[in-house]
Amino acid sequence: MSSNQHHGFDGECDRLPLAHLAPDHLAPHLPLPRFSAARRRFLKTSAAIASGFVLSNCARNLSNVNLGSGDSPSPTSNAGVAKNPASGKLYIYTWANYTDDELIKGFQEKTGIQVVADPFDSNETMMAKMQAGGGTAYSIIYPSDYTVIDMVEAGMLTPLDHSRLQGLDTLRPKWQNPVYDRGNAHSIPAVWGTTGLIYDPQKVGKEIDGWSYIWDNRKSLTRQITLIDDVREVMGATLRTLGYSYNTTSPDQIKKAYSKLVQIKPTIASFLTTGWEDQLASGDVTVSMAYSQDAIKLIEEKPNLKYVVPKTGSSVWTDTMVIPKSAPNPDAAYAWMNYLLQPDIAAGLVQRLRTATANQAAFDLLPPETQKDDRLFPTEAMLSKCEGVAPVPARIAEVYDQYWTRLTSS
Amino acid sequence: MSTSTPSSPPLAESLPASSQGWQKLTRLIEPIALLVPSGVWLLLLLVAPTLLILELSFIPGFRLGQSAGDYGIGNYLEIFQPIYFQVILRSVLFAIGCTVTCMLLGFPVAYWIAVMAPSRWRNLLLVAFVLPLWTSSLLRAYAWITILRPSGSLNSLLSALHLPSQEWLNQTPAVYIGMAYSFLPYMVLILYASLEKLDKRLLEAASDLGATPQQTFWKVTVPQTLPGIAAGGLLVFITSLGEFVVPELLGGASSMTISRLIYNQFLGATRNWGLGSSFSILMITGVSIAIALLLKYGDRDSALSG
Repeated sequence: MSSNQHHGFDGECDRLPLAHLAPDHLAPHLPLPRFSAARRRFLKTSAAIASGFVLSNCARNLSNVNLGSGDSPSPTSNAGVAKNPASGKLYIYTWANYTDDELIKGFQEKTGIQVVADPFDSNETMMAKMQAGGGTAYSIIYPSDYTVIDMVEAGMLTPLDHSRLQGLDTLRPKWQNPVYDRGNAHSIPAVWGTTGLIYDPQKVGKEIDGWSYIWDNRKSLTRQITLIDDVREVMGATLRTLGYSYNTTSPDQIKKAYSKLVQIKPTIASFLTTGWEDQLASGDVTVSMAYSQDAIKLIEEKPNLKYVVPKTGSSVWTDTMVIPKSAPNPDAAYAWMNYLLQPDIAAGLVQRLRTATANQAAFDLLPPETQKDDRLFPTEAMLSKCEGVAPVPARIAEVYDQYWTRLTSS
Repeated sequence: MSTSTPSSPPLAESLPASSQGWQKLTRLIEPIALLVPSGVWLLLLLVAPTLLILELSFIPGFRLGQSAGDYGIGNYLEIFQPIYFQVILRSVLFAIGCTVTCMLLGFPVAYWIAVMAPSRWRNLLLVAFVLPLWTSSLLRAYAWITILRPSGSLNSLLSALHLPSQEWLNQTPAVYIGMAYSFLPYMVLILYASLEKLDKRLLEAASDLGATPQQTFWKVTVPQTLPGIAAGGLLVFITSLGEFVVPELLGGASSMTISRLIYNQFLGATRNWGLGSSFSILMITGVSIAIALLLKYGDRDSALSG
């Protein structure tokens, strides 16, 4: 859910923060086996009839989830094999900034498995790629909580064999049995955080404590705000200020949230999930809505900025690790999960990448000042008011999207 | 055609009729064989995806990973909602505005390079104009952000000159500036190709016969370059209609265009590929009409050379 690709210019073209915006990427990936059959039929019958027929197959094919190598249980799914070192290459599909060289090198030294990490910048992009059959190389994926629900429903995930995992019992209680995946049946929490506001207290002249600041000062904040480019986060925050749930399915409440958002439309400079950092740091905008992860990263460079979790409550998100059914190397995937469940490894990641861990044992290893950092680890009191974004039925998602289109095009 | 080729005399002697048939066959096969690679390429990567999009557009509410419903025109009915109309209108206005700006800025430049500049500089000037096209459009958009932002170079310059600062970023003017900058080289190239062919004797004749420079321009120069103007205008219009990066990065909170709408349907929260496909088809149709106009009225030579 958090995405930190604003500095991604050193990567290949595909990894540019906006590479996904290129219209060519909209072309659906056609499943190849189906297509070679298509070629044969083209030759047999007249092109027009054949193309219609074959393409209808393609469309139907797109609606079947790509289950990869099938539902047959992995031959190595008994606990004894876990001791055998997995080998080969492990392809992981993750958010930028969730791995670093030290982690990958350490893992390779320990297991001999070479890791290739490809970044994605939104759950939706990742889902589209997986469902269209373009992600069969990956054995580990890092979906966010609500996407785990989607993926489980679509039958894309392997149920985790808990006997092959060591250290699940050291997770914080809240993540032992999370709402998005009861009992961690399909996923393991990797990184979590909140959504909040980041601002320069000196420029604002006072402490901001909630979303209401934007509404109260909308006259003087013309084009001074950036909001996350995500319909559910923005609508959810507004719903929350109205006292409703982030995950409401009432069109009436969604409409009220939309009407409230329209009031602050003039204050919104832009909807940016990434790219707001520079504008905020230079003072071009006053307040940005951001994921805690990205905000903390920026504050490391610009200590004058401040991140706050709104007092009325906000969203709390968890990015997890899952093994897709199409995973070519599930053994390596388990090895990776076990490696990241080790307290010292998880604590090292918190120190280096400033990502919050859900591992209590790792938390205990952290220096006290990191433990007390309530931007990284919000207190229970703060968390009790927060909600996770959960999937809503398609027809409600459409209601959200229509109001969003209306908001961004008015 | 009449005799056999030297490479196959025995065959020709024994079976002349069959040899001729063979030759005919090769003549038939050769072009086909040469066209097959590009044909397959087009078929797989252009025709097939377009037909697939066309099919998806007729499945209302098609979503990846869910069972497809029945065929219907529901998606096309949904397009005509007022909110989407606003988005389409904005895209068209951006494209028209960009085309007009490019025309107004590009014509004098092209005229100067083609008619007035020393001929040995012409190629160099053209290259200088095309040079920005060699950088990524993304980088160019970011460059404009640096220039136009409230604390950016434009405002530093203005304040140094004691002029009031401008807030163009995240608003419509920034979109026009960014898009016109992106597409100006195309316009200049096409207009240049058209103006280069301008018959200068006619200009001299006009002034000899007492026409004012203004009259000469409107009655002699413009009519001669009209096909080039049409070609440049339509080409810029077509490309800017599908522009994604510039409105997205420079346009701020109220800049949703049809490209972004399609993107949202495919990769956004709703993942309604059916609706997204119908928007794509709408756009493909619109662009096809523009291309048909281009072929009918445009200066094909200069459009192709551009």
